[in-house]
Amino acid sequence: MYYICRMNSEFVQNWFSQVKKGTLTYIILNILSEKEYYGYELVQEIKRHTTLEVAEGTLYPLLNRLKTEGIVESKWVEQESGIPRKYYTLSADGRTTLFEMRTIWSTLETAIRKIQK
Amino acid sequence: MKEQTFNNQTAQKIYDDYFKRVRRCIAILSEDDQRELTMELKSHVYEATRNSTPEREIDILMDVLNKLGMPEEVLQPMVADKKIRQATRTFNPRHILQALTLNITNGAGYVVLAAIYLLISTFGLLIFLKFIHPSDTGLFVSNGRLIGFGFILDRPAGNREVLGNMFVPVVIMIMIIAYLLNTLLLRLLRRK
Repeated sequence: MYYICRMNSEFVQNWFSQVKKGTLTYIILNILSEKEYYGYELVQEIKRHTTLEVAEGTLYPLLNRLKTEGIVESKWVEQESGIPRKYYTLSADGRTTLFEMRTIWSTLETAIRKIQK
Repeated sequence: MKEQTFNNQTAQKIYDDYFKRVRRCIAILSEDDQRELTMELKSHVYEATRNSTPEREIDILMDVLNKLGMPEEVLQPMVADKKIRQATRTFNPRHILQALTLNITNGAGYVVLAAIYLLISTFGLLIFLKFIHPSDTGLFVSNGRLIGFGFILDRPAGNREVLGNMFVPVVIMIMIIAYLLNTLLLRLLRRK
């Protein structure tokens, strides 16, 4: 019995990791649609909205990828500290992409709600 | 960019060691990409540690660096991606070789393209063979029918080589075109 519970728990954890991985881009784009954020601030914002523990090391490769795809834009802003911040914002293409993603998400959400009833 | 300093010497050493590893991992990239990546990580560490007290500097720094992860693991996808971009932008064979090495495990497409590059480079052997065995290397035809292109020993009687001195420029031209096309395919593959 204990073994089955542990197996299920592992299965759920793995599934949750996949869900997190799959939705992180969507979460980031939604947050960036409000205003521009710098990397560290974005991590805090993700935690605040979702209570998800984001592996910070995975955030920068993802942002880099989104920038390469033209979905986000970035700019360096000098600070009084002498250590600048790199601010990220959604590009025009990014807004269109997010709109399409929201439609898909909404359809999926409705379908899952129906199934769960 | 100003360098961040720590009151605690151990914290400073941990910080310096981490960024030494970062520099080692990204040394393969262009100067601009190296600067951009280092600045971004340093900015992140600064923002995460700037409110720490001297007594808690080590704990907070360790926590931040742990969350960022080991540079060798965290930076690998970014380095691989940036290297491909650099390679397909510059068409530099050295960058292409490095980009393929970094991405070879990222899908069969990279293996196929690497094999095509290898094939293109071996094509260059024909130039040397033309100098060593001029009568057996070239574009051969017999009675208006194509026999083959390259180094061919066993040829039917009555054949003749049609390119002559133009063989070497033709081989070079084919290699250049194939190289450019393959590099454009590499660019498309990265975008997928």
